[in-house]
Formats: sequence, structure tokens, C-alpha cells
Amino acid sequence: MRQDWRIIGLFIGGVLVLGTIVGGPLLYSIKLSFYTAASFIDPPQWVGLGNYVKVLSEPLFWGSLLNGVTIAISAIVLQVVLGVTIALVLNRQFVGQTVVRALSIVPYFLPTVVACLITQWILDPNYGLLKSVFASFGYGMFDWGGNSTSAKATIVLVSVWIWTPFVVTCVLAGLQSIPGQLYEAARVDGAGVMKQFWHVTLPGLRSVLIVVILLRGIWMFNKFDVIWLLTKGGPLNETETLPTLAYRKAFLEFDLGGGAAVATISFLMLASIILIYLRVFPIDEAKQGR
Amino acid sequence: MARVTLQNVAKSFGGDRGPWAVQDFSLDIADGELVVFVGPSGCGKSTTLRMLAGLDDVTSGKILIDGRDVTALPPKDRNIAMVFQNYALYPQKTVFENMAFGLRVRRTPQHEIDRRVRSAASSLGLEALLERKPRQLSGGQMQRVALGRALVRDPDVFLLDEPLSNLDAKLRVRTREEIATLHARLGATMIFVTHDQVEAMTLGDRIVIMRDGFIQQAGSPLDLYDRPANAFVATFIGSPEMNLIDGGLMRDGGALVMRSGGLSVNLPAQSFSGAERDVTLGIRPEHIERAETSTAFELVVGLVEQIGAQTYVLGKIDGNKIRAVFARDDALRAGDRIFVNLSQEKLHLFSRESGKTLRRTSTKGENGNGRELHGQAQLRRAELQG
Repeated sequence: MRQDWRIIGLFIGGVLVLGTIVGGPLLYSIKLSFYTAASFIDPPQWVGLGNYVKVLSEPLFWGSLLNGVTIAISAIVLQVVLGVTIALVLNRQFVGQTVVRALSIVPYFLPTVVACLITQWILDPNYGLLKSVFASFGYGMFDWGGNSTSAKATIVLVSVWIWTPFVVTCVLAGLQSIPGQLYEAARVDGAGVMKQFWHVTLPGLRSVLIVVILLRGIWMFNKFDVIWLLTKGGPLNETETLPTLAYRKAFLEFDLGGGAAVATISFLMLASIILIYLRVFPIDEAKQGR
Repeated sequence: MARVTLQNVAKSFGGDRGPWAVQDFSLDIADGELVVFVGPSGCGKSTTLRMLAGLDDVTSGKILIDGRDVTALPPKDRNIAMVFQNYALYPQKTVFENMAFGLRVRRTPQHEIDRRVRSAASSLGLEALLERKPRQLSGGQMQRVALGRALVRDPDVFLLDEPLSNLDAKLRVRTREEIATLHARLGATMIFVTHDQVEAMTLGDRIVIMRDGFIQQAGSPLDLYDRPANAFVATFIGSPEMNLIDGGLMRDGGALVMRSGGLSVNLPAQSFSGAERDVTLGIRPEHIERAETSTAFELVVGLVEQIGAQTYVLGKIDGNKIRAVFARDDALRAGDRIFVNLSQEKLHLFSRESGKTLRRTSTKGENGNGRELHGQAQLRRAELQG
């Protein structure tokens, strides 16, 4: 009990830091969503729920929501499936295992800007790498950025490229924690490779996957950098998501209140989804499946 | 239920060059027999069991279950069940599902699964726990579930890999008794691995003692206790362990005498005839008897341990460290000098060079040099006939 003041001190410090860098802007943004303002300098004017009514009645808002959900879900599914597969491969004993494991995480080190610029350089319809390759075979270049599906696919693929190593690392750690005797017990029980995966590996990865999907979900839903760098929400708002919409409204259309309203709605939706998710899939081992 | 035969089984984890975990392991296990593999860690007992289960490959040799060569078969095709030291229960499955899994994999009909799991659960006292998850169970309960998982499968052979090691002392004794009862009721072939000689002695119809990958001796518990093949077996079986005194063997007229420093022990005149000079004398602590007369050996008491029914003494006879077990003696104190006899009939003699037992010549002249080398193959054959 002698150290109580220290614990309290650290706690208060943490709350202060978090409050300043997270809580402050959050509350300010929520406050702003009830005002209309063209910049941070002008005195804002109270409009009540006006911004919300306006935003929610725009088809663009709902389109952006749908785009965001589509991109997030596709990316997460691919990241998890690929991540688990790669982790299973890397978990096996082979020559050069350490080197390959280390290499597999390299994409995660790439700054997003670099990854996006490389992608653009490869895919550019006029002077890109793929264009030259196609041209040498006598084919024309497909304009990936001019089509809704291919533009979304590009964003998804770049996200998968950069963040799958995160999934691999987490799953690899999870795999190490599954006792080898469980596999032996399953083999004696007569389970083949698929049954072992289904009854031993997947249940053993449950906690890891719950956290990984949660984190990837939050990050993908809030993804701004990749989308902005690759498509800026185009073509014709087909890759617009709530974060880019909020940014567009606040900083390009000088509608701070509208942008704040989008951000606040987005925040509330994400928060409620996370709460439901954690109810259904508790991270706490002891609560699982009771 | 089945007969299990191992023929010259060997296991190396580094190809033909070794190191060898198990070598030249040959054993015939009768239908319904409970055989215990025992030995210090690293002796190859678990590896042998894992080869039987099909979890480890056999480097050379053959394994037969009921005459069927299973050497190359995967575990699932051997109809064996295994109980692991750490229970290895599926953590996300209920007790019921843990026991049912092997049957589900084999597509057993649901009503049959129900029947078998419930019958196994009732015989192990697990009925109330069927819907629990492993983490809600105590160690003893988990071990019973692991046993139940093996039971429902109705396997040809039960393999138990140190199943009691993670239990506390009391529970270990109780579970040991349960396993013995289970074996008596099922009449199933069981192979039990342990490093604990008490478990081996109490459970086994037959004990196989291993060291460094080799079988040292195989035989009934009392056979190993009474007639150990070498000094290793002699000290491994029995607790507290056998006293060993290095010395020289010489004839003094007609008598045979073992001398070690100031200590000289007369051996039965006709016994241990042989050319061996450097020998080790073995005497179990419980075969050292209190004596009244001063013609006996003088034991200087160093440490007295009271365990209730008996009194353990650690002391010295002529400078040789000796452990002795006496009937309870409340008056014994460190520093006391008492007289003891070494029970002549219970003396063991080992070659100091090879560690092998120098046999008593029961009938004179039957054995040319009075020495019976306990080759494993020889011993095994004798046992199979017996």
C-alpha cells in the first residue's frame, strides 16, 4: 500500500495525456458538429442538429459508408486468410526459417506513402510498369483508377500487402502457444490434417484472431492514408469512405461542422460495433463459450 | 485387447549416426498385461512409447500389434489410445466432447457416442462434469477425463505417458489405484511409462527398466527387487536405495571375504565363486538388522529420520556410508553407536567393471564360473517361457 501514491500518480498522468491528445480533440470535434464554420478562425454559429440532418440526407454519406464497409471487410478477410496461411507455413520447420520469417514482415516496415507511390508507379495507365509489360505483349493498359471495382480492389490489395505481416506475426505467436501434445492427442484420436486444423489450431488461435480482427477492423474502417494517396476517393466518389468524406468536407469544402458531423457519426458507429463485437467474442479467455 | 511385440526397435534422432535414443529394444507384451517402462529421464522410455503410438518414427526394427505389423502405420490406424502427462485435453471442448472426439472422427453414430461416453464417465465419476471445460477442472479431474477419452475408444492397447507426474502426492496414489482397478476390470493391455519406481513396483505386472536407450532388465517387480541384473537396477528399485560398497574379493581359507578399508564382510562360503576381484557389495537398507553382540558391525549413527512406522538411519560402518531402515526406535540419536548384522542371504555382489550382478551359485558346479551374465535376450526368453 506504500506505493499507492505512485500508482495514482501514474494513473492521473495517463488520464491527462490521453485526455489531452484523444479526449480533447474528440470533444472539440463533437462540439464542432453542432456548429457551422468555414474555418477554425471564424466564430462558429450554433445550428443544433442541422449538420447531422444535412449529412444523413446526403446519398454520398451512405455511399461512403457502404464503400468503407466493403473495403474494410474485403481487406480483413483477405488479410486474415492470407495471414493465417502464411503463419502456418512459417511455423513449420525448414532451412532458413529465421531469415524467411524476418523477410515476411518487411512490407510492414514500408511507409504507407512509399507503398502507395510504388503501386501507382506500377499501375499508372500512361507510363506505369504494368503498362510497359502489357504493351510488350501487344495489349493495352487497363485503367484501374477509372472503374469502381478495380479502384476498390487496388486499395484492398495495397492494404493486404502492407498489413498482412501484422496478422502473420500475431498468428505465428498464437501458434507457438498451442501445446504440441494437443496435435499428438488429435492424431491418436484419429484426426487428419484438416480436422487437426479445425479442432486444435483454430480454437487455439481464437483469442489472437479476435484481437487481430478487432484491430484490423478499427484500422481499416478509419483508413485514410492509403485511400487518399491512391484515389482521393475517386473515381466519382466510388472509393469515398467516411474518413475521406469528413476530410473533404472539413478541409476542401470548408464545411467544418459537416466534416465534424461525419466524423462523430463514424465514431459512434464504430464504437457500437466494437461493443457488440466484444460482447459476442470476449477477449477474456475465461468468458469464452461459457 | 492385444498382444504387443517389439522386435529390435531402435530410434535415432540423427539418422544412422545417432545419437540413439533407444537401441535393440525387444519385448513381447502379453494380451491383458500391464507393463511399466521405468528409468531416469532420457533413458528412452517415453520415446519407445511414442514409437508404439506412432508419434515418432522407428529408425529400425518392427512393432507388431496382435501379429499385425504397424511399424509404418500412422497413429490413427493402430487402434491405440494414449494418455499424456499434461492431459492434452482440447481446451475449447467440454468434457463430453473431449471424450467423444475420437469417436466423432471415426463417424460413430450419435447414440453409440452417448452410450460410451456416459458409461466411461460413470466408471470414472465424471458424470457431473460432462458439460464443463477443462480449465474448470482440477488436475485430478483432468487426468480422469484423459483416461476417459482413452476408455471410450475401446482400444487394443492403452499407452500411458507419465500420467501421474503432474498430480500431487495423495492424488497420485489414488489415481494409481484407480488405474490398477481399471486394468483389472478391463483386462486390457496397458503400457505405462514413469520415472517413479514406486509407481512401477505397485502397478506393473512386469517392469522394464531402461537406461541410456537400453533395456537393463525386464521382469516382475519382486524379481527385479530380489534378483537385479546389475547395480543400476539394484539401486533404482527399492527405496531408500541399496547401499553399495566397493571392495576387493578374496578367499581366506575356505571362506569368501569382501574387504573395503577396515570393513570385511564374510560371504556365504559357496557363493559368488568367480575370478572377479574388484567387486561392489550391495545390501538394501531394510536388510540391515540390529544386533546385540559386539561381534557384529558397528554403525555410527549420523542422521536419524523418523517416518512413523520405521526409523531411517544414515550412518557409517568403518568409514563406509550406510543407509539402514529399522523398526521404529524413538531413542536413536545422532552419534549413537549401534551394532548391526548384514543379512547374509540378502547380500548382492556386482562386478565393479561391468556393474553386472555376480550370481550366487545355488547348485555347485552348475555354472562353470558361478557367474551368470544377464544378457537381455537370454532373460527375455526365460520370461516368455515363464
